[in-house]
Amino acid sequence: MFFPLGITSPGGRERSSSFSMKTTSHVGYFFIVPALVYVLFFGVYPLIYNFILSLKEVTLITYMSGTSPWVGLANYWQTIKDVVFQRTFTNTLLFTSLSLAFQFLIGFFLAILFNRSFPLKGLLQSLIMIPWVLPIIVSGSFFRWFFSDRGMVNGFLLAWDFIDKPIPWITSQKLPIFAVTLANIWLGIPFNFVLLYTGLRAIPIELFESADIDGANWWQRIAFITFPVLRPVIITTLTLGCIFTVKVFDLVWIITQGGPGDVSHLLSTLSYSWAFNKFHFGRASSVLVIMLSLVVSLTVLLNSIRSEGE
Amino acid sequence: MKGRMKQWKWTLVALIPTVIIVFPLYFIAIGGFQTVAEIFHRPPYWFPPRPSWQFYGDALVTLLPYLKNSLIMALGNLALTLLVALPSAFALAKFRLKIGKSTFFLLAFTQMLPATAVIIPLFLIFNRFRLINNYLSAILGIAVFTIPFATIILRAYMQAIPTGLLEAAFIDGASLFRVFRSIVIPLASPAIATAGILTLIMAWGDFIVSLSFLKDRTLQPMSIGLYNFIGQYGVQWNKLMAGSMIFAVPPLIVALLAGKSIVAGLTAGAFKE
Repeated sequence: MFFPLGITSPGGRERSSSFSMKTTSHVGYFFIVPALVYVLFFGVYPLIYNFILSLKEVTLITYMSGTSPWVGLANYWQTIKDVVFQRTFTNTLLFTSLSLAFQFLIGFFLAILFNRSFPLKGLLQSLIMIPWVLPIIVSGSFFRWFFSDRGMVNGFLLAWDFIDKPIPWITSQKLPIFAVTLANIWLGIPFNFVLLYTGLRAIPIELFESADIDGANWWQRIAFITFPVLRPVIITTLTLGCIFTVKVFDLVWIITQGGPGDVSHLLSTLSYSWAFNKFHFGRASSVLVIMLSLVVSLTVLLNSIRSEGE
Repeated sequence: MKGRMKQWKWTLVALIPTVIIVFPLYFIAIGGFQTVAEIFHRPPYWFPPRPSWQFYGDALVTLLPYLKNSLIMALGNLALTLLVALPSAFALAKFRLKIGKSTFFLLAFTQMLPATAVIIPLFLIFNRFRLINNYLSAILGIAVFTIPFATIILRAYMQAIPTGLLEAAFIDGASLFRVFRSIVIPLASPAIATAGILTLIMAWGDFIVSLSFLKDRTLQPMSIGLYNFIGQYGVQWNKLMAGSMIFAVPPLIVALLAGKSIVAGLTAGAFKE
């Protein structure tokens, strides 16, 4: 392990001792203040500002003149009534649940596959990390080509006579959201793999050996040993994955920009497009607040489920 | 001998999903060697029929002006991130402070924030301070995510440094700052390397922050330079793919050399409360 000290077994807690001297604690604040100030200034304050914006009518004109009027919940009301928003909300749920399910399954399968020693394992493991390491503009533009009308998928399908005319993966009404979901599944494999693999490594091998002696088959071992023991790790992986998937922006922005005709937006891209293409900052902020409440409730859920197991 | 054969069997099995996962990268790489017509050939070529270095050359020439910006932003962000994250990670790992818990919660929370939720308000704020179209806005914006990330990784590692060691030095008359500089930082150097690498990868690959804050082409990093390739009417796919490959080389090398540290860093961030 490269990280002999830093990693404790997943879910496990170590008691770390702290300085006992009283004098040190005052100086300690000096060390912590930069991070605290930074987060308050660039993380928390924008959030509050965001919330304020969502209650105002902020367009380019009112922003420039500094006279954005308060409009109460009008932005939210208009947003919720908007057909594009409703479609976007469905898209986000679809995108998140499909991504999560497949990323997790593939990551889990890979983790089990790699939980043994074989030649070149280290190299293959590093290669599996590639989707995470690759800059998003690189993978995004690849998938834009991959799914385009004359792109790779259609190229093979047409050449092998599976279809007569190209399938409009990212140029039709219904398919684009599935195309970007597929791309996002690929993107999320390393994350799921790494977390589940680390969790698996922490299961003592004797547990499996005793099951072998008892004559358990592969499925039984997965169902009765791996899953129960791995439960905390699985919950962490799924919840973090959920939070990270709800907020995906770049990938969709690069592949479709939410188009054609706003059919493939996620909450993130819709708010961005309302802010920077239409300059409706107020309404964009209302979408963000809705998305944030989603992320916050997921975070709270994560913390409560995690602490439940302790 | 038989056992060895059996192990190679698993290498072959593991090779199948690995190849599928890597295959986009392969097609980007060979795309850069082909003409646009060849890229859109039906069926797609598995190997470039007439490989040419010309498009890699073209892409490099076009992207070179953006390289300086990418470097300034990535290194500036690294400096800022470590400057803020190192002391706070130390304090969070080794002091019992009243605001310790809430600071850690805020860091973890910020890390989970959707980028758009930070960037839209920050854009309006930075605009008031005339920071849009300034490297600083992008560096500050990216650090909103890299500082919490790095702090959490570093804290996880620093917790394992024996407190007795630090206390002994402290009793011997070393100042707290001295303890931090001469004991904590050297001992934490593996974690600093991991956090630094991950921070660099994140800043190098940033898209949304630069897209939103840097509208002036002379300030944009390579990621936006590549995005500008798409924006133009009629994408030059071969040039885009060659450029993508060039842009991806630094993080790819790091991933192959330091794959294990990356894994360690990712999990350290995830499993710590």
